[in-house]
Amino acid sequence: MLELRRVSKHYSSIPAVDDVSFSALPGEVTGYLGPNGSGKSTTMKMITGLIEMTAGHIFFDGKLIGDDLIGYKRRMGYVPEEPYLYNHLSGAEYLSMAADLRDLPAREASERIDGLLRLLSLYDDRHASISGYSKGMRQKVLIAAALLHNPDLVLLDEPFSGLDVGSALVLRSLIQELAGRGKVVLFSSHELDTVERVSHRVVILHKGKVVADDSIASLRSMMELPTLESIFSQLAVEQDTGSVAGQIADLIHA
Amino acid sequence: MHKLVFAVFDRLPLQFRVLYRQFLLRIVDLEALSIQADIPRFLGQFAGVLIMFSLIYTLLAWAYLGYAEAGLVSFRFHMEHHLIATMMLVVGLFSVLTWDAAFPDKRDVLVLAPLPVRARTILLAKIAASGVILALAVAMLNITAGFFWPFVLWVRSGGAPGLLRWFGAYWFTMAAASAFVYGAVLALQGLMALVLPRRMFLRLSALLQIAAFCVFLGGYFLQPTLRLPEQLAAPGNQPVLAYSPTYWFFALFQQLTGTMQPGMGWVARRAWVGLALAVAGSLASLLLCYTRTMRKTVEEPDLVPASRRPVWRPRLGGSLHSAVLYFSVRAVARSRHHRLAFAVYLAIAFAIGLAFARDTLSMPAPRAVNLDFVVSTMLISGMIIVGLRKVFALPISLSANWVLRITQLRPSEGYIAASRRTLLVLGALPAWLVAAALSLFFRPWTPAAEHLAILALLCLLFTDLSLVGFAKVPFTCSYLPGKSNFQFVFWAFVMIVLPGAALGGIQELKALPHPLQMAAIAGVILAMDTGVWWFNRRRARSALIHFEEQEYEEVMSLGISLLQPSMRRVEQ
Repeated sequence: MLELRRVSKHYSSIPAVDDVSFSALPGEVTGYLGPNGSGKSTTMKMITGLIEMTAGHIFFDGKLIGDDLIGYKRRMGYVPEEPYLYNHLSGAEYLSMAADLRDLPAREASERIDGLLRLLSLYDDRHASISGYSKGMRQKVLIAAALLHNPDLVLLDEPFSGLDVGSALVLRSLIQELAGRGKVVLFSSHELDTVERVSHRVVILHKGKVVADDSIASLRSMMELPTLESIFSQLAVEQDTGSVAGQIADLIHA
Repeated sequence: MHKLVFAVFDRLPLQFRVLYRQFLLRIVDLEALSIQADIPRFLGQFAGVLIMFSLIYTLLAWAYLGYAEAGLVSFRFHMEHHLIATMMLVVGLFSVLTWDAAFPDKRDVLVLAPLPVRARTILLAKIAASGVILALAVAMLNITAGFFWPFVLWVRSGGAPGLLRWFGAYWFTMAAASAFVYGAVLALQGLMALVLPRRMFLRLSALLQIAAFCVFLGGYFLQPTLRLPEQLAAPGNQPVLAYSPTYWFFALFQQLTGTMQPGMGWVARRAWVGLALAVAGSLASLLLCYTRTMRKTVEEPDLVPASRRPVWRPRLGGSLHSAVLYFSVRAVARSRHHRLAFAVYLAIAFAIGLAFARDTLSMPAPRAVNLDFVVSTMLISGMIIVGLRKVFALPISLSANWVLRITQLRPSEGYIAASRRTLLVLGALPAWLVAAALSLFFRPWTPAAEHLAILALLCLLFTDLSLVGFAKVPFTCSYLPGKSNFQFVFWAFVMIVLPGAALGGIQELKALPHPLQMAAIAGVILAMDTGVWWFNRRRARSALIHFEEQEYEEVMSLGISLLQPSMRRVEQ
């Protein structure tokens, strides 16, 4: 189980994440939602250990992640928000490097890389430079690199970004499959429809604070709203969206 | 003066001014920059190096004024040719370093094509930016020498009326020689871009860039020096005059000053024709590239067809060592910026090697191991290892470093050991192999083999010394331009490294016939290397791997507060 207890991150005096606590259970998909700048990616980076917390604790399987960071990293797979990759490598070379860095046995790594490249429809372009890959292809490389070592904790930050419809459907099923095999899956996305279909529970963040943490069914009945989108709009969207759109159109028309 | 320049600049069209500034700034690679990079200081150091060379040449001019009459003509000829050849070398290297800066690249086309900007505005802004940088480089290299040398040469040629003519001839020749070299490179690139398919052009262009580097350096160091009027007139030397552009502009200079040797008119004509062809060719090819290849640039497929060949990738040590090594090999082989940065150091090593080859290999066989061989192989090895270590500090993609941090499953010691192995395999081993290849020219082979053994130990020592304090993965940590001091490094090289290498070479040469003395030298070097290796290893145990020279926060101020400079960087 992944557990965040009163986690905060302040930049100077600006709180990016403020006193966030929630749990993600094995066998479940936990959706992590929030508008732009709400602190989702910052939280993800703190969970991965990429950035330090200002306060709070993060536990994985009951142990503080900082106590054995290397052991924790061995069990974690992460797809970051932005598809930043080393452009001078090919897709196969990048995955091979990731496997080497994770100390996977060569034969096992090679089989998994080939398999993942085939299943993600990257095999024909595996020797092409990543600099020529589309955003969706880069995203697939990131997904493959995150799953290569069969992690127990899967952190997905906007994993559907740039994926075509077919690949997005595969990923949606994959997320459920991974959870079904007992992994802890935490994923953030702006695609509320997908989150609603895939997640067992959601955590909604607004201005760095958790404003909802429950199963979607409970939230629906508690707030008496029909969809996750309407729940999200009520909790985390401050603007009158129709009015803002009208103002933008007026502004450029003037 | 600067007010006048700004006033004129402000009258130029806004689009041109915006693009000109952008292209000018791109001389420094944005990817290589870190936060708080000191760009003005970085560029200032380049200017400083050129000014330093100018000052050295000025001192030479003063020394020349004090020379006795004997040998003056040969020295004057030599210096006239040398100044022109050096100018052409500097501009040649500049054109290699700013290789395709004047041509439309994909980024420009994709960003600017949707905007209402004419291709000619982009072209003019690029020409202006490249021209300004080139003009500054020429001016810096001649900032003092360009005033003293014309005067000194005028005095030494008899001081006939017409000092201004000498100044004019000097500056015109320098400018014309620079325009010729830069224009020729542009014309050649433009021709390739027009004739070849885009993908093939990009591949060949990278090869041509390295070839140009070698041609400029090789030409500079290997071409024969003709110092006397008789040598210039000798039939055997006519091919040199016919095919060496440095002699064309030497003849042009003499033609302009009115001191041309008889029978050199055809050489000067070559300079005029070459200049006209280079300028016209470069302008025409640039114009055609902007009108014809911009669309080709956009239409090129993003994906290169994949190679189906099996990839042989032997493991060199553990998986971490292999990962770091192959990552580094690919960075040097595929990144133009890294290849070029390394090429600068290789060029110095190459120049040392050429200087050695010219003197030593012209000796009759069998050749005994000599000081030139011993010192030059030491310097070549040191330069390659230090150069590669310097290039390690240039990041390939800072934003992609997260993967190394996420997968940091071993102690820092392992990463530092992997970096050491990479430096040994990519730097020390090739350097040693170059020396081994050169040693084949010497007989008997025993002293050469003994020197190679010493050199192997020296390579280890250079490697370990260059890794002192290095707690990084190669090509991942940001580089702070302006942090290193070129002037200091240059003078340290001249004042310490060169005499040190010469002294060491003399000692080794003396010890070569005495096995015990050779063993003692080897023992000392080995002991030194063991000490440095142990020191590095001890520090590595407690080191933290750096991925940024200075940690930064996600929220940063813009650094525009004048009242509170301490607030420029938000503290955690």
